[in-house]
This record gives sequence, C-alpha cells and structure tokens, in this order.
Amino acid sequence: MNGRELDRREFLWRSGGGLGGIALAHLLGSEGLLAGGAGKGKADLNGGLHHLAKAKRVVMLFMSGAASQCDTFDYKPLLIKKNGQAFDPGGKVELFQSTPGAVMKSPWGWRQRGECGKYVSDLVPNLAECVDDIAFIPSMVAKSNVHGPATFMQNTGFVLPGFPSMGAWVSYGLGGLNDNLPTFVVLPDSRGFAPNGPANWGAGFLPASAQGTMVRPSSREPIFDLFPPADAGTSPEGEREGLALLNRLNREHREGREGDSRLDARIGSYELAARLQLSAPEVLDLTGETDATRSLYGLGDAVTEDFGRNCLIARRLLERGVRFVQVWSGADNGFPRRNWDSHEDIARDHGEMARSMDRPAAALLKDLKTRGMLDDTVVIWTTEFGRMPCSQGGKGRDHNPFTFTTWLAGGGIKGGATYGESDEWSYKAAVNPTYCYDVHATVLHLLGIDHARLTFRHNGIDRRLTDVHGGVIGEILA
Amino acid sequence: MRRLGLSLCLVGLFAPLAARGDSEGDRLFRERVAPVLERRCVHCHGDASPKGGLSLTTAEAVRKGGKAGPAIVSGKPDESLLLDAVTGDPPEMPKKGPPLAVGEVADLRAWIDQGARWPEGLTLRDRRFEGEKWWAFAPLMRPPIPVVKATEWVRTPVDAFILAGLEMEGLAPSAEADRRTLIRRLAYDLHGLPAKPGEVDDFLGDRRPDAYERLVDRLLDSPRYGERMGRYWLDVVHYGDTHGYDKDKRRDHAWPYRDYVIRAFNADVPYAKFVRQQVAGDVIDRGNSEGVIAAGFISAGPWDFVGHVELREDTVDKAKARLNDRDDMLSNTMSTFQSLTVHCARCHDHKFDPIPQAEYYQLQAVFAGVERGDRAYSTVEIDAKREAMASRRREAIERLGAINLTFERLSGPALAERDGALRELRQGLAALAPPTPAGPSPSPTNGYHSGIHPGSDGAAWVQVDLGAPVAIDEIRLVPARPTDFADTPGFGFPTQWTVALSDDPSFPASATEVVAKDARDERRNAADEPYIVRPDGRKARYVRVSASRLWKRMDDYVFALGEVEVISAGENVARNRTVTSLDSIEAGRWSRNALVDGFDSRGERPLPAHPNATRRAALLYMIQQAEAERERLAESSIPPALRAERDALNAKVRAVDEAIKSLASNELVYSVLPRPPRPIHLLRRGDVEQPGEASKAGALSCVSGLESLFTLARPDDEGARRAALADWLASEKNVLTWRSIANRVWSTHFGRGIVDTPNDFGRNGSKPTHPELLDWLAAELLENGQSLKGLHRVVVTSAAYRQRSLGNASGEAKDAENRWVWRQNRRRLDAESVRDGILAVSGTLDTRMEGPGFDLFRFKDDHSPVYDHTAPGAADNPRVRRRTIYRFTVRSVPNPFLECLDSADPNLNTPVRATTITALQALALLNDAFIVSQSKAFAARLEGRGGDLGAKIEAAYLLVLGRPPHAGERAGLAGYARKFGLAGACRVLLNTNEFMFVD
Repeated sequence: MNGRELDRREFLWRSGGGLGGIALAHLLGSEGLLAGGAGKGKADLNGGLHHLAKAKRVVMLFMSGAASQCDTFDYKPLLIKKNGQAFDPGGKVELFQSTPGAVMKSPWGWRQRGECGKYVSDLVPNLAECVDDIAFIPSMVAKSNVHGPATFMQNTGFVLPGFPSMGAWVSYGLGGLNDNLPTFVVLPDSRGFAPNGPANWGAGFLPASAQGTMVRPSSREPIFDLFPPADAGTSPEGEREGLALLNRLNREHREGREGDSRLDARIGSYELAARLQLSAPEVLDLTGETDATRSLYGLGDAVTEDFGRNCLIARRLLERGVRFVQVWSGADNGFPRRNWDSHEDIARDHGEMARSMDRPAAALLKDLKTRGMLDDTVVIWTTEFGRMPCSQGGKGRDHNPFTFTTWLAGGGIKGGATYGESDEWSYKAAVNPTYCYDVHATVLHLLGIDHARLTFRHNGIDRRLTDVHGGVIGEILA
Repeated sequence: MRRLGLSLCLVGLFAPLAARGDSEGDRLFRERVAPVLERRCVHCHGDASPKGGLSLTTAEAVRKGGKAGPAIVSGKPDESLLLDAVTGDPPEMPKKGPPLAVGEVADLRAWIDQGARWPEGLTLRDRRFEGEKWWAFAPLMRPPIPVVKATEWVRTPVDAFILAGLEMEGLAPSAEADRRTLIRRLAYDLHGLPAKPGEVDDFLGDRRPDAYERLVDRLLDSPRYGERMGRYWLDVVHYGDTHGYDKDKRRDHAWPYRDYVIRAFNADVPYAKFVRQQVAGDVIDRGNSEGVIAAGFISAGPWDFVGHVELREDTVDKAKARLNDRDDMLSNTMSTFQSLTVHCARCHDHKFDPIPQAEYYQLQAVFAGVERGDRAYSTVEIDAKREAMASRRREAIERLGAINLTFERLSGPALAERDGALRELRQGLAALAPPTPAGPSPSPTNGYHSGIHPGSDGAAWVQVDLGAPVAIDEIRLVPARPTDFADTPGFGFPTQWTVALSDDPSFPASATEVVAKDARDERRNAADEPYIVRPDGRKARYVRVSASRLWKRMDDYVFALGEVEVISAGENVARNRTVTSLDSIEAGRWSRNALVDGFDSRGERPLPAHPNATRRAALLYMIQQAEAERERLAESSIPPALRAERDALNAKVRAVDEAIKSLASNELVYSVLPRPPRPIHLLRRGDVEQPGEASKAGALSCVSGLESLFTLARPDDEGARRAALADWLASEKNVLTWRSIANRVWSTHFGRGIVDTPNDFGRNGSKPTHPELLDWLAAELLENGQSLKGLHRVVVTSAAYRQRSLGNASGEAKDAENRWVWRQNRRRLDAESVRDGILAVSGTLDTRMEGPGFDLFRFKDDHSPVYDHTAPGAADNPRVRRRTIYRFTVRSVPNPFLECLDSADPNLNTPVRATTITALQALALLNDAFIVSQSKAFAARLEGRGGDLGAKIEAAYLLVLGRPPHAGERAGLAGYARKFGLAGACRVLLNTNEFMFVD
C-alpha cells in the first residue's frame, strides 16, 4: 500500500462519520486496496505493506517498573572491581529519588553463554540458554526517568498520553490474520495494571478497532462482555433466536437504505461476535496442552504460574492468527513491590520478578522455535528504562534513563548479535545510543512496513509511531 | 513558469530595504539574492538547528558554512557549494518545491562572482509565508448571499450557499425528511436523547406553519441542550476527572468546570465572554466565582503527578515535566479557540504554517506562572455563611484573649521565676556541643513510619522487644527528619502519645505501666532533640510508643520516629532488637527495623556512654520536665470555672474552624494556581538543556490586526499575561476565533465540518468546502450578540439540514462523500447517546444536573489507585443513572463499554470522534451488565403500563425508535418475548441498527 492508498484508507475511516473495521476491510478489499483479502497486507509481499515481510506476528514482553540491565544482560567487570567504592563516572549524576551511593555489583554471577559467548547473569538462567536466538541492544536510551512518561514512550513513541501504541499501529496497518479473534491482544500482569494503565495500549487517535483487547485469564471475566453476566437469565437457545430476530429486523431496516455499508457492517459484526464467542474460550482453555508444555512454561509452580499461563496463552493466540500480543510482567508502583522497580533491595525484588519471568519467557522462545513459529514471529523483550550501577544508599538501585537493554528474537532477527554498547559502568549508552524509535522502526520493517509511511493524519499532523525519528537497525537483521 | 514569475514579483515587495551607502553588490544582494534565500532556503538553513549545520542568515554563517564546508567562495561561483547545490538536473536543493528559476540562479552566480557582498549587519529570516494568502487568515467579511436558481428550496441564507455549490456541481438537494425522522434527528442532535412519544405526537399533530421552528426553540430552551453541547466541548478541551499517567490520582474537584460549561451553553453566554472566562476568568473577573471555575479549562488536560510532585527540584526531568505541562495548556488553548497546531513549533519553526518557534515560546511564557490544583472559590451564599462563622470565631477569640490576660495576671509572678530557670537550662544545652559519633556516617535509613491515615485520630504504635526484662534508666525518642522529603525537623512526631512498659507483648491493660504521657494539643514537636523518658529503673521486657493523635503530613496523618534508644546501665539495650508495630511502611528509607539500627534519619547515633551524650540527655530531661511543670503550674493557678470556659471556647473555635474548612472543601475547583512566572527560554530543538534567548509573553503574528507581543504594565504579573491572551483570542478582529467556532457548530449537525479538520485550519488541514458559508456563519455569530443558540437555530432550521439522509444514484456518482451536502448524513449514535438514550427509554434516567460525578467503577485508593469498571454492580445501579456527561472520567483506565463505542479519549483533544463498527461493540451491546440490567428495567416499565403483549411491544417501539412497529415486527418481538421474556425482547430492540443510527 503506498502513501496515497493509506490516505484513501484514512479517508474511509473518517468519511460520513466514519466506518467500522469491518466496513473498512470490506471497502478496501472491494477496491483492491488490500490485496490478499481483508487486512492481510499484500500477498506478493508476504503480507507486507511496503516491502517483503519477514515476520507476520509480534509478541512483546514488557518488564514494567524498569528491569535492571546491569543485573541481567549488560555485563561490566568494572562494577565487580569497584564494588563498594564511590561511583564517579564523571559529571553530575542526577538520580530520580536519591543521591548516588557506592558502586554496587550485581548480586548474581555472570557466565558466558551459547555459541555467541554473550555474558548473562545467573538471575535469568533460562533465557541465558536462548542467547543464540536473541539480538541484544544494550545501548537503549529513554527520554524520561519517570515511569509514566517512559512507559508511554516505549509503547507509543511519545512521553505524553494519547498516542497509539505499537500494537494499535500494527493493527491499523495490517489488520488481523483471523477474523474470529481480535487483532491485538494484551495480557496484563495478574496483580494489576502497569503505570498509565490501559492507556499504554490505547488506540489514541486511531480508530477504536485498532485498540488492544484485554485478556485476563485469572479474572472472573477473562474477556470483558464476551458473555452475558451469570445472572442475566439467558439461555443458548434464547441467544440464538435473539440473534436471528435481530438479524431479521436489521435486514428489514436496511431495505430502502441501500448503499450504506455501515449497516451491513453492523449486521456482520454480530456474526463475528458469535464466532469470537466460540473461538476465544478455546484459546484460553489450556487442558489440551501436554504436561511437557505446561511444565516448560512453569505451570504448576506458584512462582511462574501467572506469567507462564499468560505466555502460553500468548503462543496460542499467535498460533491462531492474532497479529500482536503484549504480555506484561509487573503491575503498579505500590507496596509491597509488585513490579521491577527495585529501589529498596535489588536482590530480593529483582530476584522475585525474574524468577516469575525467566522460565516462561524462555519457554515461549523455545516453544515458538519448536513449532517453527519463531521464523515469522518477532519477540521483543523491553522495559521503560534501566537501573543505576550504583546503589541508592541501601541495597536498591534507582532509575537509569541513560542506558538499558532491549532484546529481539525471531523472524528476521540475527541471533547472537549485539548492537551498541553502554559505557564501562553500564551508566550511559556509549556506542550507538538507540531509542524506541529505532526498535519500533525495525519491528515494522520486519513486518513489511516502512515506518515513515505508516501515517495517520491527526490534528493537522501526519502522525507516525516513530514521530520524526527512527531508523531500521540493519546490524541485527538476519 | 507563470507561478514562479508571480512569486518573484511578490518577493520584490518584501525585499530588505535598500540602505544608504549600499554598493552595487550590496544592492544586488538585497534586491535579488536575499529574497530568494529568505523564501526558499532560510526555513531549513535558519537559526536554531540548521540542516547540514549550514545557516544562511548572516554573512559570517555563510562564510563558515556547514558540515560540507563554506557555502561560498567569494569571486568563484564554480567552487561555491551553494551554487552547486541549486544547479544540476535535478538540483539537490531546495528539497521541496520547484528548482530555483534560471534568473534566480544567475543572480546568485553574479553576486558570488562580484565578491559576494553582504550588507553590514543584515540578518535574513524565513519569509516563506509573506505575501501568500491563506483562507484562514484572510479578513472576515459577511459575504453576499449567492443568487441561485431553485429559490423555492431556500429557507435560510445557509441554503443559498449550499444550493449554489450543488448547482455548480450539477447536484440536486434531497427532499425534506418526514416529521418522525426530523424530531428524532433534532432530539439527538440538540439533546443527545430520544424524543418522548408524547413529544413526537405533539409535533406530528402541530399543523401551524412554524411547528418545526417551535420545536427547535423548545429544544434549545431545555437544559438538556447544555448537556449535549457540553459533551462536545469537553471532548475538544480533553477534560477528565483524574490526572492520568502513572499513579493516576482522582481529581475530585474538576467537575465544577464541567458544570460551568453546561451552564454557559444553557445561558447562551456570548462567545467572546465564554473564551475570556476560560482563559483568564480568575483574573478578569476577580471576586466572581464563575471566573475561577471557568479557568478549569486550562487545567482540564492530563498532568504528570510523579513528575510534578515526586521529582526533585532542579533536575532535568523536572524541567521536562513543566515544559510538557505548559505545552498541554497552550496547545489546548490554541487548538480549541484558534484551530491551529501551534504545538508543532516546539522544536523548530512550524513546517507548514507561519508560526515561528519563537512565538511558540511566547505562548509558553503566557503560562509560565500557571500550576494546576484545587483552588477555593466562593459564592455569595458561601461568603455570607463564612462571614457568620468568622464573626462567631472572632467573638470567641476576643473572650479567650481576655481570659488569657486574667491567667497571666494570676499566674504571672510564679511563671516568671520558672521561665528564668528554663532559660538558663536551655543556654546550658546550647553550650554543650552535640556529641558526634566516632566516624561521620550518613544514615542509610530514616526510621519507622506508620501507615497513612486520613484523620489525626488514627491508631499507631511501635514497640521494641528487649529480649528479657531489664531495668530501664532512660528511653530516648529521637524524632525523624527524613532526607528524601522536604527538610522537616520533628517529622511524624505525634501530638499526643504515651510510652508504656510491659512484660507481655500484647500490652494488656492489667499488666501495662504507662511511664510517660503527653496530651497537650499544641506540643512543640518540631524539635530535633530526643524526648527523654525516665522510668526510674523499672524492669520490663517490652517498650511501646503509641500515638493517640497523629502528626499532620500534608493532607494526611502519620506517626514516625527516627530512632528509639533504651538505656540500661549506660548501654542502649534496644539496639538491633526486634521491633513490631501495628502497621509500618516498609519502603525506601523507611522500615520498622530502622527504629533501632543505631542511626536516626540523618546520621549515626552517638554511643550512649559518650559523656556529652549523657550530659545532654540529662539537660534535655530537666528542660522537658521544667516545661511540663511550668504548664501544670500555669493551669493550677487558674480558677476552675474560668478554665472550663476557656476549654469550651477553645472547643468552639476548633468546631468553627472545622466548619469553615468543610465549607471550603465543598467549594474547590481544579483550576489554575497562579505563581510568579518562571523564566521561559526558546529551547533549541525543544531541548530543556539547550536554552536560547528569554521569551516574553505573546501570541501569534500570523493573525493580522492584533499585536502578537503583549504590552504589559507589569510583565511579571502572571494574571496579566493570561488576560492579554484572553483579549487577543476573544477580539472581534481575531478571524480564527470566529471561524473556528462557526465550523464546530456546523459540524455538530452534519457530522463533519465545513472544514473537516476542526482543530487545524492550517495548510496541513483541509480547506473549507464552503468558505463563504463559513464566513457568513462567523459573521452572523458576531453580529447576533455572539449567540451560539442563535447560530444552531440558523443551521438546523435550514432546508439543507432537513434533507433526507437517503442516498441516490446520481448524487452518489458525483459526490459519494456528500461534501456538497446534497443529503443529510446518517449518523451512528455516539457512546453517551447510546447510554443516555437507553436510560431514557427504560424510564430510569436520573435528570439531576451538576455536582460531583458518579463512579462507573469500583474505586480502591492506593499508592496507585485502582479503578475497576468490571466490578459487579458498577455498570448499573440507582446511583449511576444520571446522564453520562456527569460520570467520573478516568484517564488511565477507560470505561470499556463507552470506549468501544468510540467515546473520546480524555488524554487528547478530540474535535471529531471516530465512529467504528466492531465485533467487540456487538458483544458489549449484547452482554454488558448495563444492557442486561437496563433491558430488565425497560421491561418492568412496559409491564407497568398494562395492556396485552402487542401493546407493550408497540410502546417499546415508540420509546426506542419513535414509531409504531409493523405487524411483522410486533409479532416477531411478541413471539420472542413469550418464549424468552419481555426483557429479552427489549434487549434485541436496543441492539437494532435502527436504534443505533439516526437517519
């Protein structure tokens, strides 16, 4: 789809009071703007919009609260050597809530892993087994050291609220691979929402159909409004006949009002809803998974149960054609700590978070690989910013926006690669400082989208996920 | 070529004026070269951050050149990079637009060839936009009403403009819709609610020629009109009831602004006044509560709580948070009232519109002294109440003063003696240097901190287990003084407390000895010195400190201590012992174990055996005892009757204070909190770490006829800056203001504006389809008392508005998008109309206006508050059946039902909502608890009417769709109702396309 076609697409969204996702798909399909059927990109580009796509799906694991780079993937011998000594990297050190304490080495040991020899800490032993499939970016930089704005930035490319998340952009650009399931699904941490709440995966100014659908497997209502409340007094027969009656009334209403595709789209939306009612419970039902798979994801172990279940459901969603899945590790900034924001005690709090995340995240990578899905699924592991290599007085680490680690794996990614470097302290990005713009541009690129051409006109600006920034990181492409 | 010629000729007009003493080379530059550079090059190669590092604004900059080297080599055109860049096929520069004309290149070559003379001191600036006309900035004049052929169709001047367009395009207008359609359309457009069956009947039966106009007037007079228009306005200004971002806190006093908006629409406040009140009402109309409330406009948007409250001063991120905050205020103002994207000029000059970056920072300067927060406001009634209370308070205080004089007379001589002794003791203490520990060591911890309580009477205690009963000589309570909070000696030291000993950790009354008790309300607890308790060697295993009245932190109450030492035989036996407490904050530098870790909040405690430590403790003890003794003496010298009167008066003062306080807390609005303006600098690349020159308050130079830089008597007066902007915006000369609102009014009734980008009238927005009509509407508004109701009336009484929405082949073929308005647009109900409409038809709509919003969620306050929209019963119960505009809007967690129906995201300015149709929407309309519960309420209403099932179905149709059912529909729904219940049939009806769309 070229820029002109996208304009046309955008016009269709807005015209005549707007059109629905279904009407849009219908219109774009009928006008030949979307080759290969509704919302599936161009067949000759392997589903890409602008060039050949290497991947079809994305899963993003978000470590909320700021996961430490210098306790996981960014090995610095200097911290071990200078442990307990004054932290003096030169220049003024400005922390979020404290004054800098002494240099603090990681409580965990480091070892070289895999063929590539990447150093990974003992905090994440399972992910350490996957390093040859992963491309690391240890030179990530954030534009804020405050959780709210920085979390917005990693998700939407802006530190302000109100912008569409990457999942929403991908939904807008590519649509879904399966009409029976939502295009973009979000699995929040079972303990609650990360800073900013669902605004993190909002559609912003994009049509609401691009927004993330929340799935909360451990709640009493995993998908909001999928079924009537238990006390509604409905019966399957009543529902079936009710939909048939509604369909009849709507068809009669349409007579004499021909030419308005929105009326057809609304009729169709009830058919889609019924299909979703059938397919969604099936995705969430894990009874068909083997014991081996269940234990791979750490189900049955209280520590890994929640995140493990979410990762396994993520795989099932991807398998069934959901385009973008986001899984959150970490909830709000409350006490006791329930996210990665380990100001008080890195060993205790990061220990707990990592134990719950490491095994399931690694399981997801291995499982996707075993099933051959890793070839066309991009896996992103990220967080809003990093943590300081010094202590903040006690045993904790304060926020570090100057360097942190994001990694990618899967479709089109060069395993075992590392792009950029932080300084000898793991304090500031030193080689190839990289922003979320570059990561977003790279992921879109893998999906066959030119990040500079995926735009939506809002309040007079052709908005992009990457704002006016971003470049594809060629060094980590296979 | 013609175009180029024209632009050259325009350029000539703006060439820098020739100066005396110019050489020929100077003149060539001024007249021929500089204008080209200014129009085509300086935009990118300008001041702040020029492309390629090359600035073409001064002689020096050009000689210095950019990354590629000097731009010109004097006398050598062929070696000059500048000339190279603009020649070639195609030339590398300019990046945008056509290449430079042959003559222009020749001039450039000649100028370099002749020595590249640059007149002394001349600085070039971006003049891309000068002399170029753009519709939005053109003068506003009432255009003549066009002459049309089909005059019989024309009802109002609006129709003449529309028809002129249609005739030009070869289109014909559609027939007028029938009366049922018209009243349904009008009711939803002007009220956001369905017309009641009785109202439909009245309109159908009204044979007077002006029946339609009467209906319009009746609808405009109803308070439901303000609620409908208010919703549109709140979308535009991104109003919400929480702050947004992380730790999304409630904004419990935002609603008075929402009520102001509704009130203003209903009262039909003239538009200029509406603008002025919202931008600077608190300044312009001092003493009038309406102004303070209206200024809630400025604070309506999201606000980064962590960035503003928790981030420390003088950090880069604090500066960023404030920059973003002002950006939100100014873009809200300029998008709403000017329909301009001024915020695009934050990092560089605007790419499309004549808005220099410097002017963006002028607007930043307007808001440089604005913070957001709850602000007290008053009304005449409140003022009267407050005055009555204050007078009661004054009387009590006077009487107290008299009593205190008596006290002094009675107890004076005895106290004077005590005071002398106390003075000596204090001098002794001052002379004794505080003992320092062996090595200076900053404290890793603050100490113990209780849970946070909403009132002072919360319970809190903390106790130390000494391991075994020991003889206790002394207990030292060291106040906290946290290092990660504003410096506050005596932080958390309670105003009423006791120290008790026991051998039983549960401190049963029977086995507890209270060894110190302090119950004076006005305790001087700001001290930084330990409080000394001497139990005289009593033996006990547990020491407990209890607070019975907590310390006031900000708006809440806490108990904290830096350290507790228990001295037995010269040793601190509490050190590193087990501490328990009723509750405790275990985070950051706070922990109950830090109560006995040998560190107070600031440093290591001196060893108890240190001679100075012992002596100081002894002196402190004597001072504290002497103070208590003094107080006892003062009390005892007073006659009991007088003491009782004093206590009663004190209680009365406290009660009145409470009453005054509660009066104030009912009358707060989240609005502007003025402060002295912070300095504002132009920021290169919008980066707070690259400040340029200082900016003064001002507006935009692209709006002609108004001064863009404000002349203020006192430039540092925050209010004056906003008042000046308010005047600038509300001026009749500001053409954007009037075009902007006229377009919004039109958009309300056709689903799209004459300019279909209502927040962007710039070059990146759309152009008006009917520019003359837009100007006519704007002029009509200006000349008709600025009445918005009047303008709505003009629009909805037009024949254009009354057309059918049905398409036809010839119209579709020529104008499928209906840009020329050959029919009305069928519109899907917006989220609020769906919810309000359902409440109305079920008969459960609660029409009370004003006041705090209702929670459509279960709320749990916390560090990060929880808003659970999915909690059982949250979606529908008798407390949440007011119109949706009165709901409490959460920014971080949108209401899922309304969100999937495309309600506006309160995080961004929403001039037009997207309208989508999705499967999730279908699920919500079928299964949401609100729908299920309301279907039952609807059925109950129908049951209450009596009659057979067919009559009930008929009533349902009239309520939901404003028409009776056909026989087949009646039979179908009745059949379903018989089998699955009437509520089920109601649910089906509420899901129909006919309900969800307005023809």
